[in-house]
Amino acid sequence: MTAQVELALNTLEAQLNQPLETALEACARCGLCAEACHYYRAQPSVEHIPAFRAEQLRSVYRYERDFLSRLFPFWTGAKKLDEKTLLHLTEIAFSQCTLCRRCTINCPLGVDTPLLMRAVRAMTTAAGTAPEILVMLADAAIEKGADPSFFKELFLEQIREIEEQLRNITGDPNATIPVEKQGARVLYVPLAGVHTILPPAIVFNAAKEDWTLSIFEAANYGVFLGDVNRAKQVAKRIVDEANRLGVQEIVIAECGHAYASYRWDVPNWFPGQFHFKVRSMIEVLADYLREGRIQVDPNFITEPVTYHDSCNLARNSGLIEEPRFVLKHIVKDFREMTPNKAEALCCGGGGGLVALAEYTERRIQAGRPKAEQIQKTGARLVVAACENCRLQIGDLNERYGLNVHITALTDLVVRAMRLPKPLPGTEAEHLFEGQKEMVELDPPAH
Amino acid sequence: MEVKLSLDFKGLLCPLPVVKLAQTIKQVEIGELVEAVATDPGVMADIPAWTRSTGNELVTLEKRDDKTFRFVVKRLK
Repeated sequence: MTAQVELALNTLEAQLNQPLETALEACARCGLCAEACHYYRAQPSVEHIPAFRAEQLRSVYRYERDFLSRLFPFWTGAKKLDEKTLLHLTEIAFSQCTLCRRCTINCPLGVDTPLLMRAVRAMTTAAGTAPEILVMLADAAIEKGADPSFFKELFLEQIREIEEQLRNITGDPNATIPVEKQGARVLYVPLAGVHTILPPAIVFNAAKEDWTLSIFEAANYGVFLGDVNRAKQVAKRIVDEANRLGVQEIVIAECGHAYASYRWDVPNWFPGQFHFKVRSMIEVLADYLREGRIQVDPNFITEPVTYHDSCNLARNSGLIEEPRFVLKHIVKDFREMTPNKAEALCCGGGGGLVALAEYTERRIQAGRPKAEQIQKTGARLVVAACENCRLQIGDLNERYGLNVHITALTDLVVRAMRLPKPLPGTEAEHLFEGQKEMVELDPPAH
Repeated sequence: MEVKLSLDFKGLLCPLPVVKLAQTIKQVEIGELVEAVATDPGVMADIPAWTRSTGNELVTLEKRDDKTFRFVVKRLK
């Protein structure tokens, strides 16, 4: 046994707990998961059936755990893990499964195949066969947490410039983007880049929220790697920051995996240190509208609009009605995709795939069912509350000629707030490029 | 020292500049320089973090008058 294989098997062994063992033992091989999977819908072949993918790990598990399988592997379909199989498992876990969990909710036994794929991702990360770029991105995030001083000054300089934009857009000379504000009620955690800082800043200022901006980004590539150790180190930056500032709530930018991890995983990783409520920006928007804290034009968009449910937000976190509640306030012609909500099809961009150039073609192919869904709605605007989904739908738009605009929910709400001044600067223009045409059709009152 | 490869990351949102840099830096030899221009301010934090965590060298990182960000990285790994 090579060191690589030994590391992989040790990682499998270390992860074994009741949920994982149940998923490894429980498949009835009924095949109902096939049609649930967007990979299978795009390309109906055996290797795209979730149960088949799971079986690749189960065969290794049987060999390791079952005496009879070790003696007579051909009887039970057991397989000894070797380097070739490890590479095959790597390929399956990182390029043929987005961890969307649609197979799980359609399985009569509730077998959590994505949990198995996460276990494989962890095994291959430990063995060094996981995609290098995901490891690099996770390590770069950890580096930022270890010593924020090397970027903080530049970051603050950028924030002051974004703040100027904020004041220009809102016409409010007192509008601010507080950073490291001690005792703020809300810590807002953006993604890297102005596009997830400026629109929420406009909303928080309009709602007169007591907030502060995190100096870190919400994305966690350790989660995509299935590597709990790396994922914990990335998350610790935010947990420490929230504790240091004494906030009551962490609000996560429109990002599926980041919200799901902070909502469900991170509190368990830091017992006794996680005293905060966690909300997504889309919940915040819904609450502000419900409480009358922000005002929007109900006739803002008359063009047909559809909403893409991010798997991590809708199916895996239950944020289903909140975005629809928000859209009802600003959209006249809302059209659902079919299926939708908890049964929504994955766009194909989850699980870190958008960052993996080597799998681009496979990702675009797997997104074809989503592209067809969008096309059938006749919508001109697709709203998605997840960065990876937006990037993927942008690629699908180009490949399949969907002729749609794609936007974040917060951006759309900000447009519907009918701000007193035009959007200045190249960055803001770029930010709202998706709605340009509609703004021309339906210009602001000012 | 001469720049071996010039990249245009304008319009790309983070972390894509890091992703593209990590992929393309392999096209130059160890010790050679790669230059890139980006528009996402996120590179001001992400590129230094990436060079630190990968052991490559950030030669320069500057904000320019046209609101773009230019950086030069020396491949060391």
